[in-house]
Amino acid sequence: MTTEVTAAGKPFVHVHSAHCESGVTAALFRDKGVEISEPMVFGIGSGIFFGHLPFVKMAGVTISTFRSQPGAVFRKSAKRLGGKFKTARFRKPQKGMDELRRVLATGQIVGLTTNIYWLSYFPNRFRFQFNGHNIVVLHEIENGFRVSDPMLEEPVDCSAEDLERARFAHGPLEPRGFMYYPQSVNPDPDLRSAGLKGMKDTCNMMLKIPVPIFGIRGMRYLAKKIIRSPEKLGFMGACRELSSVVRMQEEVGTGGAGFRYMYAAFLQEAAELFASEELARLSGEMTAIGDIWREFAVVSARIIKQRGQAEETFEKAGALMLVCAGREEQLFKDLSLAAGKLKA
Amino acid sequence: MNVREVPQDITYYEGKKRACWALNDEGKYVIVPSSGWEVEAVVNGLAVDEMAASLEATRKAVLAGGKSPLCYHMERRQMTPEILGKTAHIAAFRVKRHFRPDVFAKLRPSILERYAKALAVTLEELKTVPQI
Repeated sequence: MTTEVTAAGKPFVHVHSAHCESGVTAALFRDKGVEISEPMVFGIGSGIFFGHLPFVKMAGVTISTFRSQPGAVFRKSAKRLGGKFKTARFRKPQKGMDELRRVLATGQIVGLTTNIYWLSYFPNRFRFQFNGHNIVVLHEIENGFRVSDPMLEEPVDCSAEDLERARFAHGPLEPRGFMYYPQSVNPDPDLRSAGLKGMKDTCNMMLKIPVPIFGIRGMRYLAKKIIRSPEKLGFMGACRELSSVVRMQEEVGTGGAGFRYMYAAFLQEAAELFASEELARLSGEMTAIGDIWREFAVVSARIIKQRGQAEETFEKAGALMLVCAGREEQLFKDLSLAAGKLKA
Repeated sequence: MNVREVPQDITYYEGKKRACWALNDEGKYVIVPSSGWEVEAVVNGLAVDEMAASLEATRKAVLAGGKSPLCYHMERRQMTPEILGKTAHIAAFRVKRHFRPDVFAKLRPSILERYAKALAVTLEELKTVPQI
């Protein structure tokens, strides 16, 4: 944690976070005096999810996701916590930059959606063309901006040119200069009812979407696909697909195990909030499931590293994922029951 | 995951640290900065190596006269003809056509300017590829 000063002269505490979007949203709320943690925002915004999109390809591999669509955590948590946010997109980069400067000059910190490739303060190997990275801009400095990137330990400087490129990058999910900042925030939000809404929404998304590529069914679908993949795609092709799953699980700022640990942290906080033993038990169970996801990642990495020489097989990786699917199904069913009984 | 199990393998973060959620000794979740995990290095390495290999192949093709330097610089920025086209305001099919060295050689300076801006390189860089 480091303290910075915003343009308004207010202290801003930078908190190292696992996930960019929940980290930014929590930072914006904290700036308005609402003490809220990153997992709480993540849980209230129903961030945890699973989906496998067999027909969307990025750089030649299909996409799997461990979270809801970009922007949803911010949108849902803001609504459920009773925050009014001003959001804007721009056609012209110049206008977008001018508006950012204008808002910063009023002393308000601003959340931005950016392309991670053009943010040159990141290590090179983090930099991929991905248009969904969120950051907080604190104030303007000479030739650039002071940026609090929740994925980094400390705030950094970012040049104006870099930031403009990152905000107006093209490709899938174009940010189009998306910026957001709170206009009014409920100073004393009802965390209990917001948390319950988040839990119920999550259970619905994980269990009840009638398409076999989302939620628990998506997990089972992907697991079976992984088991079959060496025959269908050849060894290298199968490795590529497997590595993309593990990268989405571990690499893109998930806090470990594809957001499962962060969700366990949310359940833990919620358990204290409701004084509910059932939620505490579910938090423990989520941690255990996260450990299996980590094991899946380890097995996958061994397959890729040994190039087929190791005793680890695609069957084993797929089987681990099926175990996760089974246990998560039970967990979300239990959570759905528990959330139904709890009172806001 | 316990705080002591948070991987601290030295990998490719260039001194930066990534946040992980882990349980401390009291069984409470806390943020633990991690300096990297070997598993991540392996899966990231696969993607990075493949990109590097394909970039190198393109560079050789440019030097051999099979492709224009534009193709190399696009790949270096991890773009596709569609993304580059949108960024430079040039239709994707024209971008692909400009990968032919003979077509690229005849491009107007104004078009080259737009490519250079979209790729964040200078005009001189855009017309060449590194020799080594």
